[in-house]
Amino acid sequence: MTAILRVDNLSRRFGSLWALNDVSFSVERGELLGLIGPNGAGKSTLYNLIAGALSPTGGEIVFDGRPVTHMKSYQIARIGIARTFQIPKPYKQLSVVENVMLTAFQHEKSVRRARALAAETLSDVGLSNYIDVPVATLTVGLLKRLEVARALAMRPKLVLFDEIMAGLTPAEVGTMTGFVSSLPARGITVIWVEHVLYAIMKSASRIMVLNRGELIASGAPAAVVRNPAVVKAYLGEEMSLA
Amino acid sequence: MRESLSARSFLVLPQRGGRVSIFEIAIFAGCFVFATVGLSQNFQDIAVLSFLWAGLALAWNIAGGFAGLISFGHAAFFGIGAYTSTILFLHFGLSPWVGIWCGGLLTAGFGALLAIICARLRGPFFILSTLAAAEVVRIAALNWASLTGGPEGLSIPPAAGMANMVFMSKTAYVIMMSVFLVAVYAVTKSLEGSRYGYYLYSVRDDVDAASAAGVNPSLVRTSAMALSAGLTGIGGSLFAQYFLYLDPTFIISPDLSFQFALLAAVGGLGTAIGPVLGSFLITPMSELLRSYLGYQVAGLHLVIYSALLIVVVLYFPGGIAGALTRIAGGRAKL
Amino acid sequence: MTTLGQLILSGTFVGGIYALMSMGLTLIFGVLRIVNFAHGEFLMLAMYGAWAITRVFGLNPYIAAMAIVPAMFLFGAIVHQIIVRPALDKPHLVVVFATMGLSIFMQNAALMIMTADLWDVPPIFSHSVKIGPFYFKAELLLGFAVTILCTLFLQWLIRSTYLGKAIRATVQDGEAAMLMGIPVPRIFLVTFATGSALVGLAACLMMPLFSVFPTVGLNFVLIAFVIVVLGGMGSIEGALIGGMCIGVVQSISSYYVAPAYGQMFYFILFLLVMIFRPNGLLGQKGAATIGIND
Repeated sequence: MTAILRVDNLSRRFGSLWALNDVSFSVERGELLGLIGPNGAGKSTLYNLIAGALSPTGGEIVFDGRPVTHMKSYQIARIGIARTFQIPKPYKQLSVVENVMLTAFQHEKSVRRARALAAETLSDVGLSNYIDVPVATLTVGLLKRLEVARALAMRPKLVLFDEIMAGLTPAEVGTMTGFVSSLPARGITVIWVEHVLYAIMKSASRIMVLNRGELIASGAPAAVVRNPAVVKAYLGEEMSLA
Repeated sequence: MRESLSARSFLVLPQRGGRVSIFEIAIFAGCFVFATVGLSQNFQDIAVLSFLWAGLALAWNIAGGFAGLISFGHAAFFGIGAYTSTILFLHFGLSPWVGIWCGGLLTAGFGALLAIICARLRGPFFILSTLAAAEVVRIAALNWASLTGGPEGLSIPPAAGMANMVFMSKTAYVIMMSVFLVAVYAVTKSLEGSRYGYYLYSVRDDVDAASAAGVNPSLVRTSAMALSAGLTGIGGSLFAQYFLYLDPTFIISPDLSFQFALLAAVGGLGTAIGPVLGSFLITPMSELLRSYLGYQVAGLHLVIYSALLIVVVLYFPGGIAGALTRIAGGRAKL
Repeated sequence: MTTLGQLILSGTFVGGIYALMSMGLTLIFGVLRIVNFAHGEFLMLAMYGAWAITRVFGLNPYIAAMAIVPAMFLFGAIVHQIIVRPALDKPHLVVVFATMGLSIFMQNAALMIMTADLWDVPPIFSHSVKIGPFYFKAELLLGFAVTILCTLFLQWLIRSTYLGKAIRATVQDGEAAMLMGIPVPRIFLVTFATGSALVGLAACLMMPLFSVFPTVGLNFVLIAFVIVVLGGMGSIEGALIGGMCIGVVQSISSYYVAPAYGQMFYFILFLLVMIFRPNGLLGQKGAATIGIND
């Protein structure tokens, strides 16, 4: 069984609103899975459930053969699931490299080696020039890349990317897409929520579509995009085809 | 991997790595010399208190400045430490040299308890809970006369002797308090550059991001509060040995709690040298003010210090330490 | 049974007045997302003011309210401009320290000027009011009545006026409100000043019932926070209900608990609510558990 993540009948209710309703899917090891859907579809809720920030109203999550449904977020991080935040959450009083060191500590317990790992990760995402800069001065685009660096410094088995392309120029989008595409080869499975559809279309092996808390399509990018249900879900919405 | 001595390393502020700068060494050396070398009793008094409050401000800072757990109730820990060692000495003859550690452990336990109780509270509610908890402790101390001597307090007999930790000469107390200060400073400095220190900062700056990074926020907060409380309790015991009289109205007062926070904030939160600078600036001023005005104008010194605090937090981020870094042209880090 | 009924009813009435004191806090909380640690001292200041006017001009606190309420509005506006506004765009602990500093400043200034003695105003009405088998101080009933009127007025203000809509918009989403052309900084100013004025009114109603001394604010501010948490952040009606509940609890427990420990009441109550019910009575938006600058 090569599925690294399996989600069974996952549901989450807020009051009378079912943010996620009976969602089931699995992710193979080494996949690059795109996840799209209109605003309010439940993508953030799904991420929060997987990452342990929320507990489900119903359903199960199994990671690497272990049930993780009710684990707390720090426990989930420790078993190898990393995530970025859609609105970046940097440690405002620390520098860029220090921000990444926190996650690097998962693997390197010494401050010196953690700093080295952090610096290396930062250069992977193109932030070497900003290593000792206080994060408070960074723009949103740079903060998003910092989020990526923080997630990767954990050397995760599975990473959940949440709209990491916002604020990037088209050239930067290309670079970042190439970079993310290289992650599966390094042994990192990727789930990627993104509004910049172009990036996912190029790199994902499979795309899932959420709408109003339900999974309405899953398959190869070209097919999914032509799926009538998907088109209808997006009707009237502007999609960024950067 | 030492950096060469450039102008920047003369500065105080966290190159987080726990490196001690020339500035810090100079400050400490200057003060110890000043305090121990044949001075009048009055000045030695001021030195004793300056060192003690500096150590206590540093202890407060571990919770408040590093971990973001701002407490306005730390005087309760101070008092519990003081009462514990004193009661153990008066009722059981236990030497204060041991009693101090008992007090420290007990207060650390209370600190952990407080953190656990208030684990879900954020921001101002946490702060008010610390205030409320301290008041409960104060009122309990005031009323539980059989244990604490009630409003009359407890006195330690001034029988000098090493075993009793009571000394004839003020110089001995100056040395005692300076040892305390250096010890707490060393603890703070080593935290500052360590992995655990970074866990504290992460929980302070963004607890959700810290969790997502694998940091256990409850454990970090509880341990930080326990450490901070324990050190404060030890300081309380030392104070008892110096002052020889415990009065619950002063020892566990909101004013004293405020003082710890004030010294740390004015000096510079989240740095090691900040609280020390804050104490070295404000404590002598406070004592001198008291000796000129006597105790006639109650509340005047707090009026001055609270106004000072307001001005500092609004216009001098990072306190004195932060201002110094900016003057030297470095980055202002809190 | 009558005793219990008496305790419950007078507790409800005084709780209403506590609620009035808390409404300002919950408004400020909901709109500015900050806590004014000096809230209790605003109350103390207004109480001293009411006492002074009563003493100097031979009036009573209810008439003094005509001067105190606008004065507190002005005072709140000044404090907002000088202390709160510069702190808003800085890390959260700046506003904590700034308002805490203000609190200590005001307490000790009062100590210097007014001394630690307790001051009272003489009773305004000569006898109590009898309703059924119960007796109530007329000052208590009058205070409660004014509170109800004030609550209705505030509700009308929030529901039907532009200012009210602007306030509600700012509570829900400050950035969006600004994008809609709502002058958010001015809303902040008006809200803070109004909260301060409400405290002033509450002080005038409370002066006939309580003594004033420099640290009187501490007890009441904890009650105010409990009420705000119980009633839900930003909710006027919640504050009223929360207030009445607290009033009843206090009334009953002060009757049955030894006075030496009575002072502990405020603090223990606060801690109990924080520990067991930080999300309020109705379990809404957890005032205590969400971050304030989240």
